[in-house]
Amino acid sequence: MSPLRFTALEKRYGAVRALDGVSLAVEPGGILALLGPNGAGKSTLFGCLLGLTRPTGGRIELRGRAVGDADRLGWGYLAERIALYPQRTVWQNGLFFAGLKHHPAAEFERQLERVGLAAGRDRPVRQLSKGMLQRLGLAIALCGAPELLILDEPFNGLDPKLLGRLQAILREEHRRGATLLISTHTISAIEPLATEVAVLLEGRLAAAGRLGELRARFGGGGLEAAYHQIALGSPGSGEIPPAMVA
Amino acid sequence: MSAPAEMDLPPRPVSAPERRAAAPRWQQLRLVAMKEFADRLQHGWVLACSLVWLGAIALTSLFGLVQIGSIGIQGYERTTASLLSLVQYIVPLLGLLLGHDLIVSEREDKTLALALSGGLSRRKLLGGKFLGGALALAVPLVLGFVVAGALIGLAARDTEVTPFLKLAGSGLLLGLVFLGIGLLLSTLSRTRVQALVLALLAWCAAVFVFDLAAMGTMLVARGGAAAREVEIVTDATHVASAADLHAAYESGDDAAARAAARTRERPVDYWLWINPLDAFRALNLPRELAIHSGWAGLLLSGGAWLILSLTGAAWRLQRLDL
Repeated sequence: MSPLRFTALEKRYGAVRALDGVSLAVEPGGILALLGPNGAGKSTLFGCLLGLTRPTGGRIELRGRAVGDADRLGWGYLAERIALYPQRTVWQNGLFFAGLKHHPAAEFERQLERVGLAAGRDRPVRQLSKGMLQRLGLAIALCGAPELLILDEPFNGLDPKLLGRLQAILREEHRRGATLLISTHTISAIEPLATEVAVLLEGRLAAAGRLGELRARFGGGGLEAAYHQIALGSPGSGEIPPAMVA
Repeated sequence: MSAPAEMDLPPRPVSAPERRAAAPRWQQLRLVAMKEFADRLQHGWVLACSLVWLGAIALTSLFGLVQIGSIGIQGYERTTASLLSLVQYIVPLLGLLLGHDLIVSEREDKTLALALSGGLSRRKLLGGKFLGGALALAVPLVLGFVVAGALIGLAARDTEVTPFLKLAGSGLLLGLVFLGIGLLLSTLSRTRVQALVLALLAWCAAVFVFDLAAMGTMLVARGGAAAREVEIVTDATHVASAADLHAAYESGDDAAARAAARTRERPVDYWLWINPLDAFRALNLPRELAIHSGWAGLLLSGGAWLILSLTGAAWRLQRLDL
């Protein structure tokens, strides 16, 4: 996969600029942690990438061409608030959404087993706990060995056991060669995984680069410390290095 | 979650173009349509509609002549005349009720986002929604017409089924037109409630407002005689309308009188075709009323409304941020 490239991406809602000229390249096979406070534009960026939100300016390209529906057949997406058909069972929901991407039932069954939800396949979705719903959403997203996995706040509300399992699955996907885009506030959960980091602030890209470089630039501490210096401008952080802003 | 094993790693990725090439061409459209129909089946809509529709036809056939002092199973022609008003009120309402929440409910519930994020185009989503809704509308209507039609044929020993078939076919088309209008309203609305209000307003406009306006216009422009013609076609006031229709049969009982009436036939005012409901009614009026309109009126009017509605819905859906 050639780089996924956002160029001068812009989304306005009236006078509000949810995205303001974001330019960013995502290297294939990497894990990009997209960080930023609430309202920074992370979900809007994902919405534009997934075709759910129409950008008011800029381009998104994959392999040098504008991203389209055909590309999205090969992606997986886990939303922050997983919305499925509550009256339908786990199995029915999975078959429907996997079927839309031309995946056979056997593939969904395999992913259901992988996330440990095979035993609950006949339960209506309305009876699932948050953790089970998260796993079902993940099983749907993982179908067909996607080349690009887009996860919006995947670590929210998970207990430590589930969190560990999710991290393990994401590592497996990374080893397989998938590119992962993960937006999160849970920096401690993404730090062991991320290879690249991008920080959005008020719709603008405040910083972007490899994890190691970013940590080194901001005093050699952890990602959390670097993020706080970028996002909150902690004393002594200095200016954001221009080289890290696209 | 169980502990992962290295052996569980997914196989080499199959590219999206490879998968798309191997998949049946209409798989996405079929999946959306079948899900929509299955939902209506599961919620009891299809069964309830079938029973209501079957009962309505049977009861109308049995009691349709009460207004002129008669009770008993009527033949196809009389049943058609009795059913005309029922079809023109109920079928558009069913179409609008089915169509109004096809998009907006999933938009509110956020389920559209997951479907559209996976490579399903918005046009295919709309097409699938319409087909699924059409199936959920057509099954009860066809079932009702077929079963009730068979019973009427047996009970009344009538073989002149043409008017009844015409009513069934045109009624189904009318329902599809209003399903399309409902779908358009669904894409224009932000909430289910807003969509429902718009659907009910659209129904009132088609059933009452247009016809009252048409009668008023005709009365002013061409006088009372013309307005009477419009009233027969539009049935705007609904006063003794069924009795009027059956009276036409009574006065034309004699074959010579019927033949004479047919020689006086003249086409309905074409501008009434603006409203597909009036084109439907004009198509199914007894020929003894000496006002006629062929299939062309309904096909043109209904086709135009359907194309406009679906095009408008597609245009709007393309611009929706989810």
